[in-house]
Amino acid sequence: MRWDSLFRRRRDAPLDCHAVAERLQEYLDGHIDEHTAARIEEHLEDCRMCGLEAETYERIKAALAARRPEVPVESVARLREFGERLARGDEPRTST
Amino acid sequence: MAGPDTDDRDGTDDRDGTGDRDATGDRDGPGRHAQRPPDDAFERYVLPEIEVLLRVAHSITRHHAEAEDLVQDTLLRAHRSIGTFDGRHPRAWLLTILRNTHINRNRRRRPELLRDPDGAEERSMAMEAPERTDDMVDRMLDHEVVVALDALDEPFRQVVDLVDVDGLTYAEAAEVLDVPVGTVMSRLHRARARIRDHLGRAGVAPGGPS
Repeated sequence: MRWDSLFRRRRDAPLDCHAVAERLQEYLDGHIDEHTAARIEEHLEDCRMCGLEAETYERIKAALAARRPEVPVESVARLREFGERLARGDEPRTST
Repeated sequence: MAGPDTDDRDGTDDRDGTGDRDATGDRDGPGRHAQRPPDDAFERYVLPEIEVLLRVAHSITRHHAEAEDLVQDTLLRAHRSIGTFDGRHPRAWLLTILRNTHINRNRRRRPELLRDPDGAEERSMAMEAPERTDDMVDRMLDHEVVVALDALDEPFRQVVDLVDVDGLTYAEAAEVLDVPVGTVMSRLHRARARIRDHLGRAGVAPGGPS
């Protein structure tokens, strides 16, 4: 029990900049547990440097997401038609 | 979408590592498929994923026509093996088929075609699409992100393309690349850190030079 409570206290101690930097990207990707996310959030609000770092990564992610190309609608339509033919049991002859 | 195991930081995962390139991605043996799939399984599980498959195919081939052919072959192989699919995680299943189909197709080609020179042209054409931004600083940042992205080595760039551009989860990107989730995370984080360092050097990061 004593070890449990010591461990819990240690886990709930404020995160330092190094610990936040280690998990920051997982946090920004939403791939982190709620409890840790809340502690990171708390640190980001208090620490200007880490807050700016998080903002930079968010801007990078946004810039990359904006590059998502539109898939050609004609290609999607052709593939859908191909898939529907397969679904009907009309398997076209291909080289595969 | 199901998230990955975030504790998988050491590059381990639960795959059997047989390296089997069976295009169906069926790696778990006959015991896995106890239930017969519904008659409309192909329409239900496969057709809704065509757009995602095409996007991912374009990321790994960097060529529109090649991507379409790859997805067509993927659909064909998925159709042939739909009877053994258990209905769980259709996107991951299809991404595995797509990856193996891509590998099989490349095996039949001349090695020099694996590095498609048209890719660079297509990338620069894609970059020509104007980004909607509010001010010059945003435009500069976006531009520098693209410069840094193009400077990344292929394995790093691929992960950024799949996760940040195409919007796959870590686990889905791991399926496409046939690497552990931990490897995806490590490459992705290093790639973004390189982009971030570039922004610092270019003086456009909110925090200034790192």
